[in-house]
Amino acid sequence: MAHGNAATPAVLMTHDLCVGYGDKPLVRGIDLALHPGEVVTLIGPNGAGKSTILKTLAGQLAPMAGTVLLLGRALGQMSPHERARELAVVLTERPTTELLTCRDVVELGRYPHTGRMGRLGPADREAIRASMELTHVWDLRDVDFSRLSDGQRQRVMLARAICQEPRVIVLDEPTTHLDVHYQIELLNMLRHLADARRMAVVMALHELPLAHAVSDLVLCVRGGAIAFEGTPGEVFSSPTIDGLFDLEPGTFDPLTGGVRLAPLLREERMGHVGAADEEA
Amino acid sequence: MDLTGRIAEDMTSHGRRRLGEGDVGVRPRDTRHRRWVLVMVGLVALLVAAVVANLCMGSLPIPVGEVLSALLAPDRAHTYGQVMWDIRLPRVAAAGMLGGSLALAGLLLQTFFGNPIAGPYILGVSSGAKLVVAAVMVLVVGAGSTVSSFDLVLASFVGSLCTTLVVIALSGRVRGAGMLIVLGVMLGYVCGAATDMLVTFASDANIVNLRNWSMGSFSGTSWHDVAVMTPVVALALVATCLLAKPMGAYLLGERHAQSVGVNIRALRVALVGLSSLLAACVTAFAGPVSFVGIAVPHVVRRLMGTSRPLVVFPATFVGGAVFCLLCDLIARTACAPTEVSLSAVTAIFGAPVVVAMLLGRQREAM
Repeated sequence: MAHGNAATPAVLMTHDLCVGYGDKPLVRGIDLALHPGEVVTLIGPNGAGKSTILKTLAGQLAPMAGTVLLLGRALGQMSPHERARELAVVLTERPTTELLTCRDVVELGRYPHTGRMGRLGPADREAIRASMELTHVWDLRDVDFSRLSDGQRQRVMLARAICQEPRVIVLDEPTTHLDVHYQIELLNMLRHLADARRMAVVMALHELPLAHAVSDLVLCVRGGAIAFEGTPGEVFSSPTIDGLFDLEPGTFDPLTGGVRLAPLLREERMGHVGAADEEA
Repeated sequence: MDLTGRIAEDMTSHGRRRLGEGDVGVRPRDTRHRRWVLVMVGLVALLVAAVVANLCMGSLPIPVGEVLSALLAPDRAHTYGQVMWDIRLPRVAAAGMLGGSLALAGLLLQTFFGNPIAGPYILGVSSGAKLVVAAVMVLVVGAGSTVSSFDLVLASFVGSLCTTLVVIALSGRVRGAGMLIVLGVMLGYVCGAATDMLVTFASDANIVNLRNWSMGSFSGTSWHDVAVMTPVVALALVATCLLAKPMGAYLLGERHAQSVGVNIRALRVALVGLSSLLAACVTAFAGPVSFVGIAVPHVVRRLMGTSRPLVVFPATFVGGAVFCLLCDLIARTACAPTEVSLSAVTAIFGAPVVVAMLLGRQREAM
């Protein structure tokens, strides 16, 4: 794992950033420096503002205060086109398409690199092929996107982001709706992009053991601020996680994902299911 | 590129396991290109056939051979030449151009709303245009002045633009594709009722004029009308093709388009302006014409097997032209010498396509 080094300048930086909708600030005082090859993960309870932070970093939402700098330039002053050449986004919502093949969908990642009519050159085609092979969807290139499973769709959307050739990828809960096989595969790909292609990755994750495995830096979002930040080793100690999610001490092991239910609940459950469930 | 290739190389070694599980429905790339060319050639051939049929058939049948010679040597002294050049050719030009415009306007609105059932007629845009045109006709002609075709296009444009903006404003408050359509239909009723009230106050001669026009018809199209509509339609067509790239990205939804660098605000303004202009042109000259805007883009997408804008645009325009030419032919000849309203014919053929489309969609969803 390559951890962010001080020698290379940050590709994405925030200074005293405040994010939110309308005139309601949701999270304040965010200071983040994302370096090439780094994977930064946001964790925290539902509604804490993880998605809002990511939307602001991706330029989809204007900051309420403070600045977001992409390669040293204020995000708000870049044209959508300039921004898209450096930063790609994988959203939680999967697009619903009609009569578009997977390759058609991935091709749209070349948008900021092609001319007026969007004509693809050999270099564009090569980038599309390479990114689809990287996410194992090249064999699905001529299949209609709307027929894919959730896991396949997510990989196609990742291929679209990769062929955009950005320096920063922003992902909002990329593992939601995926089975554990695809979850691990997806995180392997992200780790690979960071290590081999020096891309900077920032994402929100719900699955704590996954966040522990993939991240260089973990930010805990809670109570309108970054409550805690550090390496996975520092963050994934039981007291921190218990505090972050309001857990009773000893009910959850953040490293293994092991859960211990309250004794009363456990008895009730046993009563319903019967003794066969003993090992659970 | 080199690096990407190498990484792809070493990444494919693990993870091969799940490849190819979606092999159903695979369509290799070159057969797709061949299909696009074939469909396009077929549509153009149909267009030629429809034009010839429109020139030949009518109250005065003209043999195909005579059509060709009358075209090559314009001779208005001859009866055939006169009918061809003064009546049928301008009408064919108008029906073709406006049919294409209407289909394209439908496609633009469908892109804008992300809803395949959207179209200028069903969203009330045509009715809004009709209302303003009727108002201008009644007020200006009632005051003793005359209205030029250009004024009509302008009035129609104002009407369709305003209605589109109202639909957009209301669409933000409703959920679901169906509700949008209900809203549009209601808006159409309101505009229709207002038009009816206006007609009540119009003088007799104007009413006859208005009634003919508001039923939807290409009859009485002059070369002057064609000269007015050609530059407008050509301009809108070129502008639409220039929008192909951002519209392609918009197919994935607003957020995804925004993330790859589409200037969403500019695109939305352009889509609304262009669709209003195209729909306005049709309504100004032929009155509201139903269902072309939904049925034609749908059939063309199915025939082409893709939604890619650069493939679908030209085919939609040609398809709309073919559809309107054939419908106009039926409107002229079915109950000759009386002319049936064009909009009635397009509804008879277009509405079943829309119903089939809705049923097919329902089946796919289950």
